[in-house]
Amino acid sequence: MTFDWVGLAILLAFVLLLLLFAVVGRRWPAAFRRLPAYEGLSAAIERAVEAGERVHVSLGTGSVIGPESAPAMAGLAVLSKVAAATVMSDRPAVASTADGAMAILAQDTLRSAHARVGAADRYQPTAGRMLGATPYSYAAGIPVVLATEGVSVHILTGSFGAEGALVADFGERRHAFVIAGSDDVHAQALLHATADYPLIGEEVFAGGAYLNVGVFHGASLRAQDVIRVLVILAILAGTLLRTLGIGL
Amino acid sequence: MKIGAWILWTAVAMAFGVVVLAGYFVEWQTLLELRLLFMRWAILLSATALLLGILNLLAAHLHKVNLQESGWPYSALLIIILLGTLVLGLVFGPDNRVVLSLFEYIQLPVEATLMALLAVSLAAAGVRMVMRRRDVYSLIFISTALLVLLGTAPWPFGGAGLSATFGWLRNWLAQVWAAGAARGIVLGVALGAVTTGLRVLLGADRPYGD
Repeated sequence: MTFDWVGLAILLAFVLLLLLFAVVGRRWPAAFRRLPAYEGLSAAIERAVEAGERVHVSLGTGSVIGPESAPAMAGLAVLSKVAAATVMSDRPAVASTADGAMAILAQDTLRSAHARVGAADRYQPTAGRMLGATPYSYAAGIPVVLATEGVSVHILTGSFGAEGALVADFGERRHAFVIAGSDDVHAQALLHATADYPLIGEEVFAGGAYLNVGVFHGASLRAQDVIRVLVILAILAGTLLRTLGIGL
Repeated sequence: MKIGAWILWTAVAMAFGVVVLAGYFVEWQTLLELRLLFMRWAILLSATALLLGILNLLAAHLHKVNLQESGWPYSALLIIILLGTLVLGLVFGPDNRVVLSLFEYIQLPVEATLMALLAVSLAAAGVRMVMRRRDVYSLIFISTALLVLLGTAPWPFGGAGLSATFGWLRNWLAQVWAAGAARGIVLGVALGAVTTGLRVLLGADRPYGD
């Protein structure tokens, strides 16, 4: 039996930092930098609820069992918060995805949000749905959802490829409030052009912290920052050592 | 009862997650085989979930047709084609020429059309971005996009010198600035993905419901 000690040490550091900041965060809440996308979201949701319009959360085209599931998992936290905020309105939030398993998770998240506010009877299983099994068939289904559901807030938080640009653009054409983020670098560049409020880099994972989903979400951002600084220091040290001709 | 169920789901998710994660850091045959077994189960469950997703899609569109909501004829068309494809696949098999033709002559052209539409959408989005967000980032974004376009597109006039200059500029932008920035972004995404996974593993996030 052999161990990857370096990997285990980094993982342990992550877990300990997460737990530490979760405990510390209750007493000393973190102050995050301004993110216009999440700052404007609460007001946009309130406007949608008052106007009898709907919020749509797109969880992307990635699969649950692949590495691309992480941004969609972060998106489920956003969905949980958005669903809780809209559950008592005429038109509760809807979610869509291109993966069957992710659609089931979206349904579970929506059902839990309904149950938490004592409105389990208002839950509709079709509020969390799979629109298509391939990225572009999913994108093709988006305009129909936006038009027929009367969507005015369009949140893209999941794994998208180039089709993400179309998904965001369909929302822009309806003059919806569009927030868009992906884990794919190329898609992020496209979303920067198509969405009014693009999320760059790890911002797609920060929704839970900015929307106060739970103390662990704020702790995640703090833990990421600490590890990021350590990684940057390691890169700088490696560059310096290599420049000085010292091999590692 | 409800609290018990919540604890049970969390414990199951954590146990399976820890075993799969440990398989990446500990090289032990039993653990590796267990991880492989769990991954195979996950693939099977995912395939079953795809079927449930399709049934959910069918239910959503049947509901629209029943209530004759706006755009219901499109829903009816989707149901007919979905069931038609399913019946053809079940009767003739997925490798039959008729079934393959449905993909080759309907699905592929439609998806290719959407891909082509993307180019037009992006050009329009670029113009819209300049009109709406007049900040330094938008200016850098559009200038870089134009320079890369000039360095990639063929030059019908102006000679090889101009083409080579823009080509060099494009490579410099792509290989130095864009690659450096992309690595930084990928690092941030990786850290975000790790903490998201750990939240699920610790039971702080429960995507499987309460």
